[in-house]
Amino acid sequence: MKKTKKHIYLLSPLFTYFVIFFFVPLFILFIYSFWRKTSTGLIPTFTLFNYISIFSKQLYPIVILRSIRIGFITSIICILLSYPVAYSLTFKYKRMQDFVLYLILISLFSSYLVRVYAWKTILGSNGLFNQVLKYLGIIEEPLTFLLYSPTAIIITLVFIFTPFTILPVYSSLQNISVDLLEAARDLGASRMSTFYRVMLPLSMPGVITGFIFSFVLAAGDYVTPQMVGGTEGLMVGRVVQDQFGMTYNWPFGSALAYFTIFVLIFLINCVIWITRLLKLRR
Amino acid sequence: MAEKESALVLSNISKYFGNVCAVKDMNLEVHDGEFVSLLGPSGCGKTTLLRIIAGFEVPDIGEVLLDGKNILDMPPNKRPMNMVFQRYALFPHMTVYENIAFSQFLKKRPNEEIDSKVKKMLELVQLEGFEPRKPDQLSGGQCQRIALARALINEPRVLLLDEPLGALDLKIRKQMQIELKNIQEKLKITFIYVTHDQEEALVMSDRIVLMRAGGTIQIDTPKRIYNHPNSRFSATFIGESNVYEGEVADIRSDHMVISLNGLKILTDKKIDIGKGRHVVIAIRLEKVKRVDKSVNRVFNNRLTGKLEDVVFFGHTIKYYVRVSENIIVIAEEELLGEESGAEIEESNIGDTVTVGFMSRDVNVFLE
Repeated sequence: MKKTKKHIYLLSPLFTYFVIFFFVPLFILFIYSFWRKTSTGLIPTFTLFNYISIFSKQLYPIVILRSIRIGFITSIICILLSYPVAYSLTFKYKRMQDFVLYLILISLFSSYLVRVYAWKTILGSNGLFNQVLKYLGIIEEPLTFLLYSPTAIIITLVFIFTPFTILPVYSSLQNISVDLLEAARDLGASRMSTFYRVMLPLSMPGVITGFIFSFVLAAGDYVTPQMVGGTEGLMVGRVVQDQFGMTYNWPFGSALAYFTIFVLIFLINCVIWITRLLKLRR
Repeated sequence: MAEKESALVLSNISKYFGNVCAVKDMNLEVHDGEFVSLLGPSGCGKTTLLRIIAGFEVPDIGEVLLDGKNILDMPPNKRPMNMVFQRYALFPHMTVYENIAFSQFLKKRPNEEIDSKVKKMLELVQLEGFEPRKPDQLSGGQCQRIALARALINEPRVLLLDEPLGALDLKIRKQMQIELKNIQEKLKITFIYVTHDQEEALVMSDRIVLMRAGGTIQIDTPKRIYNHPNSRFSATFIGESNVYEGEVADIRSDHMVISLNGLKILTDKKIDIGKGRHVVIAIRLEKVKRVDKSVNRVFNNRLTGKLEDVVFFGHTIKYYVRVSENIIVIAEEELLGEESGAEIEESNIGDTVTVGFMSRDVNVFLE
């Protein structure tokens, strides 16, 4: 019995770290979400007032829905872009695997902020994109909707989070033997049904992991929206930040954060449930 | 060929991977209901040839005809042939039932029909009641039976098997050899079987295609290929032979004398060659016996030498006899009882013994 439990000691450093610096603060935040803020300060109590007041103004549901929409679109685009790359690296261009994966990782070497700034200059009205279009004579006036819009947020976030979807999709495709794809073809499956009946279900764990990564990170992002989102691109992360900083309403900020977390968890489970319904998962 | 129809015809097939020739000018006619083995060492092109038939590779030259029609333009999913893979290739996310029924789902057959077909297939491979299991709950032998059932449910015109028993251990492999052969005889489906195991090919095949370096060495029945190998490669790859190089020293009306550095070997006259030609001779180990005073055997070839080694194989014993400075003859004898094997034990190494064999058992090839 003692022998089998030895690995617990190996887990304990990270476990302790996470408990002290992640779960405890998260739990404290959860407690805060039931407190009240008055003009004199925070009152420890138990009330659902903060959760109810999310729906008191139109702003909050709109911002939450927008965050979810942007996160969802970003993650779907990330998956759609990653799958062909991961597929061809696994089955078609095996020799280039290491090289391309290295290139993908290099994009993570540069700072997140630097990359967002880079996109700001690319998408701006005097930016690379508009300059090129102008030079080619496709447009006369610069496209203004490129920068300071939800579109700009999605473009930037897709760039930032694609590595997080390529890697899990790639690693799940690595485990699929070519034999299985050939067996499916041999048994009468067209290319399409081989993909749908064999390859996609077997790579679904990676797809879902990639989806969760990019969806949660994109929906919760609050730097990119501020830099390239403009007024139309206000997302929930920024609103939560304001509650803790500017208005000093920690209970409401906590409630907003937890409400968003619950909605995200619910949506992720919906997606997993749908893939099961489509028989894409065991 | 009027009495037997050719199900599958391969004509002049060649396939190159870069500069490497995987299959070289291959010609083969497979009859309806025949069990043909493609036998050869790894890298001889047998798997490539099978993949060409299945449609996973396209030959650079040549045609594949199925019942007289060229099928090279057909993708693998349209060819009325199915394949059994070496590593089973069962779909891990499906149950045994879903695996076997896969091709029937695609054909959109009614459910009752699929049910009864799957049941019949599981009966055939003796795994009734395994429907709800997942592949990871099966042993290697069971996996390969399911893979076989999955391929057979489609009633293929030709079943292609790519070293299907290669990953199994010896005991299950032997048992599966017999079972596969029985299933093939029962269903009368044409089998093309790739293997590097000569024993497997001998046990199961109606005909063996012996391949080396992309080319065909010999195509014949197991018996003929064993008793009458046409080359040094055939004689050594299938079974074991004593192989020597020598010259034709004399030709008589029905016999030839081959000289191996002065050692004279008498052979039957099977091929037409002139005196002085360089030839290779091969004699099966078990055709060579010790000539003992107690055992009466008539051999028209007798060689005497020093016994160098005795190796025990369970049901047989091999005797290594040095009959001249650089020629060792190996004799293989069955252990029948006390009278045959027990007299010469390992302690007799160094004794002078005489071994003999019949001139008709000496195969002669030009090289």
